[in-house]
Amino acid sequence: MGDDTLNTEPVLHIANLHKEYYNPTTLVLSDLSFDLYHEDFLCILGPSGCGKSTLIRCIAGFEKYQGVIQIKGKDVEGPGTDRIMVFQDFNQLFPWKTVLNNLTYPLKLNGMTDKNERREKAEEYLDKVNLLEYKDYYPHQLSGGMKQRVAIARAMALGSEIVLMDEPFAALDAMSRNQMQDELIRIKEKEKMTVLFITHNIQEAISCGNRIMVMGKNGSIIENMKNPIEKPVTPASAGYGELWKHLNQLLRDNK
Amino acid sequence: MKKKLLAQIIFIIFVLVLWQVLFELKIWPKLLFPSIPMIGKALVKAFADRSLGQMILHSLGLLVEGLIIGVVLAFLLSSLSSINEQTAAVYNMIVCMFDLIPGIALIPVAILWLGIGDAAIIFMVVHSVIWPMSRSIIDGFKAVPRIYTEVGRNMGLKGMGLVFGVYLPASFERLFSGIKVGWARAWRGLISAEMVFGGGSALGIGYFITDRRTNLDIAGIFATIIVIVLIGLLVEYGLFRTVEKNTIVKWGMTH
Repeated sequence: MGDDTLNTEPVLHIANLHKEYYNPTTLVLSDLSFDLYHEDFLCILGPSGCGKSTLIRCIAGFEKYQGVIQIKGKDVEGPGTDRIMVFQDFNQLFPWKTVLNNLTYPLKLNGMTDKNERREKAEEYLDKVNLLEYKDYYPHQLSGGMKQRVAIARAMALGSEIVLMDEPFAALDAMSRNQMQDELIRIKEKEKMTVLFITHNIQEAISCGNRIMVMGKNGSIIENMKNPIEKPVTPASAGYGELWKHLNQLLRDNK
Repeated sequence: MKKKLLAQIIFIIFVLVLWQVLFELKIWPKLLFPSIPMIGKALVKAFADRSLGQMILHSLGLLVEGLIIGVVLAFLLSSLSSINEQTAAVYNMIVCMFDLIPGIALIPVAILWLGIGDAAIIFMVVHSVIWPMSRSIIDGFKAVPRIYTEVGRNMGLKGMGLVFGVYLPASFERLFSGIKVGWARAWRGLISAEMVFGGGSALGIGYFITDRRTNLDIAGIFATIIVIVLIGLLVEYGLFRTVEKNTIVKWGMTH
């Protein structure tokens, strides 16, 4: 665990975040406020169209917004490497670069001038997601789950303050999905990552998050709680059923 | 694969034999219908005594020069035109209009403006390349998936960095097809132009074939046609296929 000084300043600070589309006027995010601390794994649940994707895109810097979004006290004004996004789409790796170069390229862009250093760092992180032997492959030769792992490795290698994940496993089959969840939890613990994870899957939120947030209509927060269940979470864990019911009820009531 | 090649070779042999048989039957005068050995001899002579090799190199040199100028101009104009919607609409109109003009129809203009010579040929090659290339650039850049540009921006790319780092490789398939269309048009246009100019300083392969006609050297004409076909095959299979194999095929980006 990180020391206390690290944990007192939020990595992500959001206050009165507000966003609406005009013509016709639609409220997408209304007056959201929450903080995320170092090593938090926040899972955001919500029905389709509740604005959870817009929220993560605002944090990533892809969307304009009103209100405050800060990373370690610095206002978010456009995309940056302190917030690397992992998308749901498997095609987020550059197909014209090998797996290894998909990791070294952003390192080069961000000032790592020594070629060997870049390669070593990329290999180190590919090893962490167990894909070192695939480093010379091109993305189209990998499965969907492997591509997502490379994308996660890329985010970690860049030393991102917070990894933003927008339903990264939603397009995977159930088996690979469970595998990826386990792997993500393992890596997150080991690397002391801070993660903001969007999902519409209750099981996923309970399994992965140490905090769970539920968003309702018009992009408001209707639940923001600590996940009381000890890891590793299985459906047999104490309290799993109650929590599942509670979250399911919230989602139903706020469709 | 091998069976297909074999069939193709057998077909060529069949045509050669048929040709020779027709010649032996003496249906047409020798002056109009040469034998295969006559064409072969003319082919050797064209290179040995009449410096066809030099002329081909001259033609190809002009072609490459025009291709480069055309591609660079297409990039400049396409970029400039993307300043706002009005300029884009105007350039789009220009491309549509000029794309319709066959290169050969501009030869009178080229002759009057630039005189008979290399400059007029390059003018025509540039014309053949610039419009299809512009079309490829505009359409190709538009079709780049948003996820690649967002991933690129997330890594810290912007402006020209984004163009070279993401837009160019992501639209490579279309850009390359623009180059292929440009080459095919330019190659035909160039030979036509050289035939029209028929001498002066425009001593290329097109001039050569006209010169053979003036000398009533039918074997020489067929020899030149064979050379034109061979150069086309060499560029298509030797150059273009090799480039594709090492780029879009390797990247899994072919459709």
